[in-house]
Amino acid sequence: MTSLQKNTPLRALLALGTALALCCAAAASAQQVHDAPTKGGHGAHAAPAKPPAAVRKGRPQLGTGAAFAPDGTLWMVGVDPQGRLFVQAAALGEAGARWSAPRLLDTGGDPISADGENRPKLVFGPQGTVLIAYTQPLAKPNTGQVRLLRSTDGGRTFAAPVTVHADRQIITHRFESLGFDARGVLHTVWIDKRDLEAAPKVGNKSSYRGAAIYRNTSSDGGATFGPDIKVADHSCECCRIALGRGADGDLRALWRHVFPPNVRDHAVAVLRADASAEPVRATYDDWRVDACPHHGPGLAAAEDGFHAVWFGIRQQGEEKVPGVRYGRLQPDGTPRPGTVRLLPDERAEHADVAAQGPRVAVVWRSTDGMTSTLKAWLSTDAGQTFALRTLGSVQGDNDFPRLVQKDQRMVVVWRNAEGVKVHELDF
Amino acid sequence: MGRRSVLAASATLAWAAWAQPVLAQPAARPRGLHSVVDFDEATWARLVEKGPRPAAYVFTASYCPNCPDAFEKLRAFVTESRRPVELGVVLMDLEGAKALAHARHYAGATRLYAFQGFEPAIRQSVDPKWPNVTPYIVLLGRDGSVQRSIGAPEEAVLKKWLL
Repeated sequence: MTSLQKNTPLRALLALGTALALCCAAAASAQQVHDAPTKGGHGAHAAPAKPPAAVRKGRPQLGTGAAFAPDGTLWMVGVDPQGRLFVQAAALGEAGARWSAPRLLDTGGDPISADGENRPKLVFGPQGTVLIAYTQPLAKPNTGQVRLLRSTDGGRTFAAPVTVHADRQIITHRFESLGFDARGVLHTVWIDKRDLEAAPKVGNKSSYRGAAIYRNTSSDGGATFGPDIKVADHSCECCRIALGRGADGDLRALWRHVFPPNVRDHAVAVLRADASAEPVRATYDDWRVDACPHHGPGLAAAEDGFHAVWFGIRQQGEEKVPGVRYGRLQPDGTPRPGTVRLLPDERAEHADVAAQGPRVAVVWRSTDGMTSTLKAWLSTDAGQTFALRTLGSVQGDNDFPRLVQKDQRMVVVWRNAEGVKVHELDF
Repeated sequence: MGRRSVLAASATLAWAAWAQPVLAQPAARPRGLHSVVDFDEATWARLVEKGPRPAAYVFTASYCPNCPDAFEKLRAFVTESRRPVELGVVLMDLEGAKALAHARHYAGATRLYAFQGFEPAIRQSVDPKWPNVTPYIVLLGRDGSVQRSIGAPEEAVLKKWLL
């Protein structure tokens, strides 16, 4: 046997190893190119990467707040494409809404959340008070603080924004709602994660379920605020809070709660200036899920309790039925038996509700591809029967519809990328 | 350097190159995501028709605290399976640099997408009945089967997916 012959197996192995290494390295290199979305995405199925976000048209921030002023003009607050806070007023007539030019408000450079569930709010109070509240997102994800602009001259001028809550941690204080009770006390409620932050961790996760609802009060129309008060532990984290003023003059808050172990139903609490009341359970969909609906409820006072709308998934026989439901609540917030019904639209989302005497309006957005349709469910018998109406439709981006009420008058304010539509409800 | 050393180095190199795609699965050290792919109304149909299989897509939003947990359960299952799986994360409310910054919550994802366009329309292109609850997870099986879940899928569903 020659030396060449003797070394053949070793050389062959060496060659094989080198070839395999080169081959596999080439394959790995090809995989890296295949994985690089900036070079055409994931093979043929991914869209080519577009220019950086900086040169794109971003997601529109169309979340708005609206309210009737004491003189009957309709006001709205929102942010413009540059993210600046503005107010507009409209006189409503036969020809529809005639909006004034937008008036920019000085927020001291605060960024503002205006994405539907977390939007600026507008409230008129006693003695020329006008309040605009918004969440100022902070640099850390999912953190923010509740800010307030206050006017005491009917909205002609506003003071610089102030932070509403006493807690100043860089954590969640978001999804605020505010309103005056019959005695003129201002109540502000928000979703707060101070208890989650303080709770012991299990591994790297908090042992705390959900977030919490906090509130405070102001007896001078938002000039000063009392201490932060916990309303309830274990709320859902990113759904709006609905407020309604009962026949007794007290405000109620309705929010999506996380009942043990992970039931995402709703709870109601009475907001009193002088005392805390234990929350009660308001809905019984029994939707057990570790997920974020990002779909808060609506609440309106009835002659004997409240009208409520909410989204949930309810087991009906063998089927899980998702949808927006309407139901009546007792004055204490517990459900009135036999009143729950599904809205007649499986695409219904982000419904709002308003009521005046026996007249009840439920409005919602129904999307089908690029088309969003505004629908209304109207009752003249306090919610026993409803008639379905289609009020309009738009293409592309739009806000959720907002019901605005003053005495007998109810309108729907619906903003889209082109403008703001106002639909007067005729029962 | 003797022949044995060269041989050993060569063999090591060969093994490392062979093993790299396996180690790149979520089973091992997660790869960083350095880019975002647009997800518009036509993307889902393309993924279902021509995308990798098996695959899981986690639709999420930056405000969803439950989403990273659901993703982690899915990733752990894939890791244990020791099979190459496309593990896509689709952000519905962020794009560009903000989306990339948020990707740190999804270590082990193989690709990051971001919605581009009218959110309800894109959502309905994925599932007309998806009620905008996150995490929304779609599992595409090797055989083209599609399973959907709000929140983390049940163990039985996951097993069926990677059968």
